[in-house]
Amino acid sequence: MDLDFTEEQQMVIDMTRTMLEEHCDTQVVRDAEDDPKGYPDALWKQMSELGLNGLLIPESYGGGEQTILEGAFVYEELGRAMAPTPHFVSCVVSAKLLLSGGNDAQKNAWLEKIANGDSILTPAWLEPQRGFSAKGIAVKAESDGEGFKITGRKRSVAYASSADQLIVLARTDAGVDLFLVDPNASGITMKQLLSQGREAQYQIDFDGVSVSADDRIGAAGSGWETWTAVMQESVILLAASAIGGADRCLTETVEYANSRIQFDKPLGAFQSLSHYMADASTSIDGGRVLVHEAAWNAAQGRSVARLGPMAKLFCCETYRETTRVCAQIWGGVAFTIEYDQQIFFRRAKALQLTWWDTPYLEELIAKDVLD
Amino acid sequence: MDFDFLPEEQKFADEVEAWLVDNHDDEVMDHHRENFSQLSDTPERCAFMKKLAAKGWLGMSWPKEFGGQEIEGVYEYILNEALSKHAAPQIGKGVGIIGKTLIRHGNDFQKNKFLPMVLNADVEFAVGYSEPEAGSDAANMQLKAEKVEGGWMLNGQKMWTTSAHFADWYWVGARTDPDKKKHDGLSLFLVNMDNPGLEVVSLPTIGKDTTNQVFFDDVFVPDDYLVGERGRGFHMISEALDLERFTMFTLSPIAHRSDVLVDWVKEATRDDEPLKDDPNVRQKIAQIVTDTAVAKALSTRFVCAAKSGGKPPTIESSQYKLFTTSLSQRVCKDALDIQGHEGAIMEGQDDAPLRGRFEGAYRATVNETVGGGSSEIQKNIIARRHLGLPKNF
Repeated sequence: MDLDFTEEQQMVIDMTRTMLEEHCDTQVVRDAEDDPKGYPDALWKQMSELGLNGLLIPESYGGGEQTILEGAFVYEELGRAMAPTPHFVSCVVSAKLLLSGGNDAQKNAWLEKIANGDSILTPAWLEPQRGFSAKGIAVKAESDGEGFKITGRKRSVAYASSADQLIVLARTDAGVDLFLVDPNASGITMKQLLSQGREAQYQIDFDGVSVSADDRIGAAGSGWETWTAVMQESVILLAASAIGGADRCLTETVEYANSRIQFDKPLGAFQSLSHYMADASTSIDGGRVLVHEAAWNAAQGRSVARLGPMAKLFCCETYRETTRVCAQIWGGVAFTIEYDQQIFFRRAKALQLTWWDTPYLEELIAKDVLD
Repeated sequence: MDFDFLPEEQKFADEVEAWLVDNHDDEVMDHHRENFSQLSDTPERCAFMKKLAAKGWLGMSWPKEFGGQEIEGVYEYILNEALSKHAAPQIGKGVGIIGKTLIRHGNDFQKNKFLPMVLNADVEFAVGYSEPEAGSDAANMQLKAEKVEGGWMLNGQKMWTTSAHFADWYWVGARTDPDKKKHDGLSLFLVNMDNPGLEVVSLPTIGKDTTNQVFFDDVFVPDDYLVGERGRGFHMISEALDLERFTMFTLSPIAHRSDVLVDWVKEATRDDEPLKDDPNVRQKIAQIVTDTAVAKALSTRFVCAAKSGGKPPTIESSQYKLFTTSLSQRVCKDALDIQGHEGAIMEGQDDAPLRGRFEGAYRATVNETVGGGSSEIQKNIIARRHLGLPKNF
């Protein structure tokens, strides 16, 4: 057992953190909120140049071919900076869907462009009044002999306005399938929906949108299995990002608690407040090791059907609870727009509610343990 | 980064596991004793410890000149996790805080007398720090030790001494220098439990443990049994907690309780339906196994920090203790909630679910967030030493 980073891993962490300190202060985060595009080109370009966009993509497609463990290190930094980027939807989920289910033509068409940041792909998954399971996919892809016609409504499609391709989860006769869809195709309308996290996301209506049979990712009916396997690994990175956000929120709160004086002593000298922070640090430090354990196991090729959901469940709750107690310590300023605490507070809850929420994660874990 | 044991560590873990299976004995190993199972309080359990001694598993991390093997402390961690997983007695105070303090600070007489006894499992110790006025404020011990001809005269009272009702020797902190600052006026002594001035009064608890009050009435302790330097007692007590990095609290009993609960839920029915299909039960199980995984992660963090050989893993140990003891209670509470009205059937009766394992464990784990440094003390340590917050009391 050994929790040390290698020299190379430490370099990736330092490089990412330095770049984000320079290109992603909280003004950058604020500017991206509610923006129809939702991320700054300068930051995206930096990420591409440092190889972060291709981090998890094989060298043969111009990527860095690193494991999900290195991904977790980078995501803790992205979470710490609350970096507004389409990295997760494009360079993680879409890239992994193509890598695990795509044919050579699809991989050749997109992976290199994802790796160098030239193209952005994003999954269109969730639907109104529907949940995270396969039952949640009601958008239909009906066969018309040649190809398919997609009809229905998707929600929470992140960075869709910048997407070069959507990966649409749709119901076919064979089950659930994944389709590469041009967002400019006729029959598609997009509407931005503002969200608690204030990241760019869209509701998309598909009205008989034509796709060719070649645009299906994987064999007929294989989509849900591919999706689930990709998600099990990918949520580990969101857990890492939650730890980064929680860690920074706590660090800034500790600084504040050391400097703000009431009743002639710093806030941190009040036991009730210091104990909130001690509890938060314990959950953060434990959650971080759980993330690393999950990522390390995934990198070893072992199943993370249990560890992946556990990491997302625990770390998102840790992030949410940390922002709650930190708001209590900051007092009134915590919920003013002027102070940054409110950004952590909103984003922690928003992250917990999506990409598998608490009840869904609990059910995944229960299934693995009990059934 | 590596979450597996090294091959040689895994080999040792496998060897211990196989040995424990071969040497299983219901008289010695009993999960219903919960944390009390770690003590060697019966002839059968003492005989079991002799077998461990014969395997060379006591004092593995000690220096060779004192009969140890000078191997890494992580082997003692592996051993104790395996022992506690089987609810067998564990290597504890003798090999740990007492042995290691004697090696560092003891005189030749003490080393020659006690270290071989520890290695051969010929001695059981009790540790006496707590007193009526020295709970979380451990340095506030008032047990009086007055210098007399050829030794010391001890008068006063200890409180919450586990093991005092069967131990052979008592490792005791006493105030030798009342005029000095409270941390500098304490010294450590080894007291024979047969001393006629000692009176042990057991205090039954709702848990599995019998704890004790110990009264000192003119207890004479010869000079040879003062450990280390006079006035350095509290510093040695603190240092021992740092020296003894690996065998403090084991995770296995909690992980084992989670496993037992999961296995029970898988088979149980309510109103003729499988209990495991109840969404409320599924949610509780998911939270328990997740928190248990976090406890394991904090344990890994603590062990890796201890292995590094750098500064003592004080923070890691406090975080692990804080999280894990609270989880331990939560598991028992949730287990009873899952079992419903049958959960309240008292332990030991065949009609109780799991023979009342969780009814008993619910009572037995109440002390975990209190003993060994309460949760609040752990949070104070984390707040000050880890986060750099000011003193808060």
